[in-house]
Amino acid sequence: MTGTNLDQPALRLAGVKKSFGPIEVIRGLNLDIRAGERHAIIGPNGAGKSTLFNLISGMFAPSAGEISLNAQSIAGLSPHRINRAGLARSFQITNIFHRLSVFENLRIGVLARHGVRYGLFRPVSRMRQVNDETIEVLTRVGLEARSNDPAGDLTYSEQRALEIGMTLTTGAQVILLDEPTAGMSREETAKAMDLIRTVTEGKTLLMVEHDMGVVFGLCDRVSVLVYGNVLATDTPERISANREVQEAYLGQEAS
Amino acid sequence: MAAIRNTLLLAALLVLLIAVPPFLGLGWQNALVNVLIASLFALAFNLLIGQAGLLSFGHAAYFGIGAFAALHLMIAIEDGFPFPTPLVPLAGAAAGLLIGLIAGYFATMRSGVYFALVTLAIAELFHSLAPRLEAVFGGESGISSMRMPWSDITFGSMLEVYYLTLAWVLICGLGLWAYTRTPFGRLTLALRDNEQRVRFLGYSTHSVKVIVFAVSAMLTGVAGSLQAISNETANYSLFASDVSAQVVLQTFVGGSTVFFGPVIGAAVFTLFSFLVSDLTRSWVLYQGLIFVLVMLYAPSGIGGVLQHHIRNRRQLDWRPLSGLYLLALAGGVLITAGTVFLTETVAVLFGEEYAVARRNAGGSLPAYELFGAHWDPTDIFTWLLPLVLLAGGGAITVSTRRHVTAFWNRGGGSRDTAARPVSLGGAA
Repeated sequence: MTGTNLDQPALRLAGVKKSFGPIEVIRGLNLDIRAGERHAIIGPNGAGKSTLFNLISGMFAPSAGEISLNAQSIAGLSPHRINRAGLARSFQITNIFHRLSVFENLRIGVLARHGVRYGLFRPVSRMRQVNDETIEVLTRVGLEARSNDPAGDLTYSEQRALEIGMTLTTGAQVILLDEPTAGMSREETAKAMDLIRTVTEGKTLLMVEHDMGVVFGLCDRVSVLVYGNVLATDTPERISANREVQEAYLGQEAS
Repeated sequence: MAAIRNTLLLAALLVLLIAVPPFLGLGWQNALVNVLIASLFALAFNLLIGQAGLLSFGHAAYFGIGAFAALHLMIAIEDGFPFPTPLVPLAGAAAGLLIGLIAGYFATMRSGVYFALVTLAIAELFHSLAPRLEAVFGGESGISSMRMPWSDITFGSMLEVYYLTLAWVLICGLGLWAYTRTPFGRLTLALRDNEQRVRFLGYSTHSVKVIVFAVSAMLTGVAGSLQAISNETANYSLFASDVSAQVVLQTFVGGSTVFFGPVIGAAVFTLFSFLVSDLTRSWVLYQGLIFVLVMLYAPSGIGGVLQHHIRNRRQLDWRPLSGLYLLALAGGVLITAGTVFLTETVAVLFGEEYAVARRNAGGSLPAYELFGAHWDPTDIFTWLLPLVLLAGGGAITVSTRRHVTAFWNRGGGSRDTAARPVSLGGAA
């Protein structure tokens, strides 16, 4: 897809550390995400999953270590530069433009991809290509019927779908989804899984997920994060059979 | 359909703006020029607060810069520089844009309160420096110039100034409206809703904010230069914080969420001061009261209330509603009468003239004149009258408001949550 070597990881974290004051949240973490795979991060609360996402996407700069996207260093870059380098993320707490229509929410990202960032001299309604691509994303996330409604009026699961749609609009090849099914009912979760599977086809996906059903149904590999470090990385089946992981994480869930 | 109707409405308004002023007196022509200038100022200011969600407390800086830039150009024209007088506001635009880029670069590094404070500080900087920079701002007395004729137009009459102002305000207003339809205009709205997400969609939000700020400052500069053309003079008081405050008040009273809202606020306040400032010295107090009442009971502003009613006009059952509104109006008139009576009475009783009258009357409290009648301050009736007015008006308004709230809650209008706290149903 990106024309990069398949052996080379899409995303590589090497010796990444992050401290907040005296508290070290990420402790020399190493992780390779292969191009084209769907990779889940699981771990108990406070393991550092959200911090890890914030480090990769540029919300925070790491205290030490290296993060590279397709062999290009992105550690410490600002979020918009990381996005332009080809990595997009969604948020755990829905993070949309509440007063804009669903269509406009998606179009902002499409405009960014087309590089029309500071277009001041042409009405956006005449940009055929941009509007067509927005409709395409709108259809893919199944929100055609809500196109003109203010995003703030959508139901929770519709907002989650919009959140995923916005992540896709900038055309990034590496997608980070932060708990995309959190707070959803069983049917909604099943729908969201189908959606994530189709829209990440041919892309690289890294997601934080608590629901083991989603992890098993969707992901090629799983990394278990405990106390700011990767305890193990493997296929979902082997991870669930891993004694160490059971003790650290799955065992807690069961009890 | 709606677009055609709006166009027709605007066209009718334009015809009125062009056709009526020749039949008005000089005072009214001058007042309309001030309305137009205030409208452009408020529209430019609202680009920041209404669209980008940035509250600037120092827009006097760019208004003043525009005025001084225009005056310097006018002085140059007087000295023979060949430049058409109608294009003088370009100087204000250029100066506003330049200073806006520099000031905006620093101010927009922060958002919210910190942004507001930095803009305030920048305006205060100009306010304190201007009297000392003799060459640029003409010291405390400021600088003056004359409008020079261009082609066949002498710019000697207020009417010619009016048409020049009207043309510039229309062009800038249309430009601002077109701005909202560009990709950058839509991005500005997204910035207001959620700056963080804009950043994660690949935009440098700082650059976006600097550009919005500079565009706003540029058009504010145009408004300032129109004022300079109209007054032919300017001094450092243009940088004063009350100029910055005035545009904030006008924008919010008019309604910052509606595109033309600020124009309504600018017109209301400018005409209010034109009509009332000759009648009473308490007009600033009344202006403040209007602002407080609008913020408490119609936070979306006059424009927001109007827009809400226009949007729901088909679903609304107008007969009971208009009855309620008439009742509320009656209550409002009573409260206004009571408030004005009390305010003016206090103004008289604590005034200098009355102090003299008291001394002449040997320390007792003589009767005073107000609204063409004599009132005795020791008579209980003098105090009972405003209190009865206030109580009666208050009772009517409170009970009407309850009914209006119930009316809207019953679904008198659509479930338009964004603009729902409306009119007297503010607490709904």
